Amino acid sequence: MAEPPCREASPVVAVSLCDSAPLLWRVEDLRAVRSQGLVGALLGSLPRTPRQNTRLGRPLLLLPEEERLLTERHGAALPPGPQDGGGAELRQQVDKYKEDQQRSYEEQSVLALEDRKSALLRATSFTHTGSEPGAGTADEALRGRLESLDQSFTFPRSGLAVQLSTARAGLSYCPEARAFLHADWPVRGLDDLHCNARYQVFRDLRRRGYYLTSAGKFGGDFLVYPGDPLRFHAHFIAVCLSLDESVCLLDVLAVARLGSNVKKTVLLCSPGTDSGVVYTSLQWSGMV
Amino acid sequence: MKDLEVEDSAQVHAAFLVYMDLTEVRQWKDVSCVKSTEPDVVLLEGRKKEGSPVQTVLPLPVHQSLSHRSIRRVLDRGFPMLLCAVASDSTLVYQRMTDGLVTPDPPAGPFQDVGRRQHRKRRQQH
Repeated sequence: MAEPPCREASPVVAVSLCDSAPLLWRVEDLRAVRSQGLVGALLGSLPRTPRQNTRLGRPLLLLPEEERLLTERHGAALPPGPQDGGGAELRQQVDKYKEDQQRSYEEQSVLALEDRKSALLRATSFTHTGSEPGAGTADEALRGRLESLDQSFTFPRSGLAVQLSTARAGLSYCPEARAFLHADWPVRGLDDLHCNARYQVFRDLRRRGYYLTSAGKFGGDFLVYPGDPLRFHAHFIAVCLSLDESVCLLDVLAVARLGSNVKKTVLLCSPGTDSGVVYTSLQWSGMV
Repeated sequence: MKDLEVEDSAQVHAAFLVYMDLTEVRQWKDVSCVKSTEPDVVLLEGRKKEGSPVQTVLPLPVHQSLSHRSIRRVLDRGFPMLLCAVASDSTLVYQRMTDGLVTPDPPAGPFQDVGRRQHRKRRQQH
């Protein structure tokens, strides 16, 4: 029997595809991917602070280049599909859940009745300011009311407090979540020339130790950081193009001007002939 | 410059404007024009001051397009390179092109920690 492959060097992460967007849901996957130098972008809202977008939570969206790199390193896999014994297991879980709910309902009914009775006693003791002559009849009336409460009290089902456990043992164990995360098998493997150029540049820069994120805000392809983005500002805005692609000078001017305004160097990157990448730095000329 | 027989007359005109700027306005030394085959343009060479290294300037009208390969060809001549974009009103814009990854200059100091009041002011603006 073959030995299981050594996982310490490059752990395999579970990539869920949601309409062709590669997402990572599990914390250990996010950590593994970060340790390989891939940053991604968080998309989800945090349950405790939902109405803001400065701090986002899981899932992590991978760049197409990051997903491709993971695939090449055999570091990505789809999460396991539903097991065969899923049907019976599921029924057992549902039955158990119903039993738990029923038990909880019975306990809560008892407690609710006690609560009602003590509230009644408290109410009558307030009106009862210790006047002696009316004490006997008031006590009898109270006992009567308590007895009728015993007989007629019903705890409504809608008043049941239900506890939801939010800490799950990993989404891979939860069949409903899995069904939600899976979409139709998307069209992968875009053979666009530009996509290829982007990927070559991404792989080369990653190999040199730079961290890369998306540069949509700056009109480029990637933002290049000398280290983890949490510790550094980006140094470069990478614009990927093929060597023979003709670009209007106005666009070059625009991106160079933007780069100088945000104190970043614009990097024109093109995959070269011998699987290397050619870089040209574009800087606002200091003599002007 | 016309004797260099470059076909693109707009580019030649742009080169002429840059030549005038370098020699008369910026007072560069030893400015000369050179024909380049690939790309088919007029290039200018000159020194900023007496004794400083020779630099290549690529003048181009702003509405033209160019490829990364042609930029590399000019860079491969071995001199520091400037790209000059010439607008229709003769405005000139220079940009430096260098091979490799050049780290940008860090922001200039001195730096002062902004107080809480400034932060609050900025937040209220949004």
